[in-house]
Amino acid sequence: MPHERGHGTRRVWVPAAFFGAFALIILGRLVQLQVVEHPKYAKAAENELVGSNTVYAPRGSILDRNGDVLALSVNTWDVYVNTNVWKDPAKAAAGASAIGKALGLDPAKLEKSVTDAAAGGTVDYLVQRDVDYDLGNQLVSSGVPGIITQQDSQRVHPDGDVGSSILGITGTDNTGLAGIEDSYNEILQGKAGKTIYERDATDQPIPYGEYNAVDPVAGEDVELTIDRYIQKMAEDTLTKAVAQHQAKGGDIIVMDPQTGEILADATMPGLEYSTLDLNDPASLALLRNRSVTDLYEPGSVMKIVTASGAINNGVVTPDTTYVDTGEVTVAGITLKNWDDSVYGTQTMTGVLQNSINTGAVFMEQRLGTAAFQHYLDAFGFGQLTGIGLNGEAPGIFRRPTDPGFSPVDVATQAFGQSISVTPVQMITAVAAAINGGKLMKPHLVKATISADGVVHPVQPQVIRQAVTPQTSATMRMMLNAVVEQDPPNESLRNPTNYTAGGKSGTANIPIYGTYNDTQIASFIGFAPLNNPQILILIKLDDNLDLMTGTMAGGPIFSKMADDILAYMGVPPDKGPNKP
Amino acid sequence: MAAINHPLGGARRGLPIPSPFGGINWWIVGAIIIVAVSAMLPVLQNSTATSEGFNAQRSRADEAQLQGQVSVLEADVAQLTSLSRIERRAQEIGLHPTSNPIYVHVDVAGPEPAKIPSSYLPPVVAKPLPPAPWWRSIVDWLP
Repeated sequence: MPHERGHGTRRVWVPAAFFGAFALIILGRLVQLQVVEHPKYAKAAENELVGSNTVYAPRGSILDRNGDVLALSVNTWDVYVNTNVWKDPAKAAAGASAIGKALGLDPAKLEKSVTDAAAGGTVDYLVQRDVDYDLGNQLVSSGVPGIITQQDSQRVHPDGDVGSSILGITGTDNTGLAGIEDSYNEILQGKAGKTIYERDATDQPIPYGEYNAVDPVAGEDVELTIDRYIQKMAEDTLTKAVAQHQAKGGDIIVMDPQTGEILADATMPGLEYSTLDLNDPASLALLRNRSVTDLYEPGSVMKIVTASGAINNGVVTPDTTYVDTGEVTVAGITLKNWDDSVYGTQTMTGVLQNSINTGAVFMEQRLGTAAFQHYLDAFGFGQLTGIGLNGEAPGIFRRPTDPGFSPVDVATQAFGQSISVTPVQMITAVAAAINGGKLMKPHLVKATISADGVVHPVQPQVIRQAVTPQTSATMRMMLNAVVEQDPPNESLRNPTNYTAGGKSGTANIPIYGTYNDTQIASFIGFAPLNNPQILILIKLDDNLDLMTGTMAGGPIFSKMADDILAYMGVPPDKGPNKP
Repeated sequence: MAAINHPLGGARRGLPIPSPFGGINWWIVGAIIIVAVSAMLPVLQNSTATSEGFNAQRSRADEAQLQGQVSVLEADVAQLTSLSRIERRAQEIGLHPTSNPIYVHVDVAGPEPAKIPSSYLPPVVAKPLPPAPWWRSIVDWLP
């Protein structure tokens, strides 16, 4: 029997249309979410799912020339408290008690601080930075309510303040802020790494979830040219000398004149970790190393450079004579000897021995302005030495092309006035005068050592040949004649066990275009005579006892030369201990 | 009559004893077992992987912990070799700074330096032989 085809009634197609429309809406929404807005939701999912961490590289250590550690980083913990957790009084009390006991804090004060921080909207309240590593581990594992710990590191200095003005400081983010820590920050800091991972609801990496890591590259160690024993000796000696001579400060620098390596660099006033307070603006002024940043007029020590230039050019010899009348007139200005003395007929060696200003002017006039200032350039004055500490000053002296120049400027430059130099510039110049004539680049870094132990040495660098080796040998003999003036059995400036040479300087300090009675007393000397191993500059700023460079600095030089060379194992070449 | 009583043409048949597993389709059972094992395998794999993953995380945490302890120990060693500690210890055992060292010349050769065991020496790199001269190959052909 044939079946009749059914006709759709309203009861069928109305719901069908409704459900069809509903399905279309759903489909449209799915297309919108999964196709049109796909990138947006994929990004949101990725942000939710993927976590990342920066992995900081361990900072390199700073070592002295013998490998002894001067500065290194240790792991520490920064301790925070989640203020939301401590809204519960019981948890706050328990947490404050546990943390207070561990860190030596008053629990009541801690609780109040956290409460105040919470009222101010702070969620993670910093309790203490750089908590000892083992102590922090105990806190981490103790389950103190609300405690959050974050790994950090802290710079420690096993030798205390020794070398602090060279080493400098790091900030809370372990970036160098002064000294070697600053100028070699990129090498010490290394390169941070990164981990990118799929994380779960507790922000922990999902095992075998995608995990890409860039390993951190550990910072390199920096080995200095400084010897910590000689550095401590220089610092202790300077502290005593500043007190004894009632000076405002000073410098003692010890250099190897053959290579330009700085064995010690003590400055006062200077950075001391034990008393540093970064909230005190006066402390910030101590962050600079004055031996490279501060300028002074060197006085008669400059006669070494004047004599070197005059002898090198052949315009004088050590035995050339002139007659000193106690004063010389240049461009209408009378220049006198430092002690107003009249020395009569003197050789050039005598000019150095008696530190005769008119003799220096004599040599400068024999050279001529252009040649004299050529030697100032050749010995590195008016230029940066490149020692490797930030903030170095180049120094200054007036040239004929400068406005207001007068021939008096050059005449006074010959005996170390009207020229401003840094202590490092001065010792570098004298090193060139006595080491064979080579102007060496002074440097504080001997090598860098990468994490795999590969040593990258820093080679000594010759900037230029300032004078000939013959001139240098002549200067050594002339400077030896200066210290040999000491009476027998009296080590005023002549070391007991080693032949030496040296020169003193006593310069007035310029104040607003003129000079007053304040002075800088200095002495620079080297030993042994024929193969100098050390060169020492002693400088005392504004010593109120007004002792000259010879009287104040000479004895310091002679004692330090004996002590340092004995420490270095250099056999005596004179005196009762000569083998 | 044989066709009625022996529809299979006389083959001997045992008495029909009811089987305790009567009606079980072993093919289905086998299939179920295979499916179950197949389902368990990834579960076991993931479980092992997850456990190892947590172990790896723990190892990384332990490594970080040890690195921290190493840095603390390095600081301790540096502290023990500091100048102030050496000076203090020297004074404790009665040493004094020397003021006048005596230098003595000894005209006798010093002892031979101690030999380092060869296992600590860097490996000997064989010097490469110089290249053979161009005429060598011709000469080698000669009787």
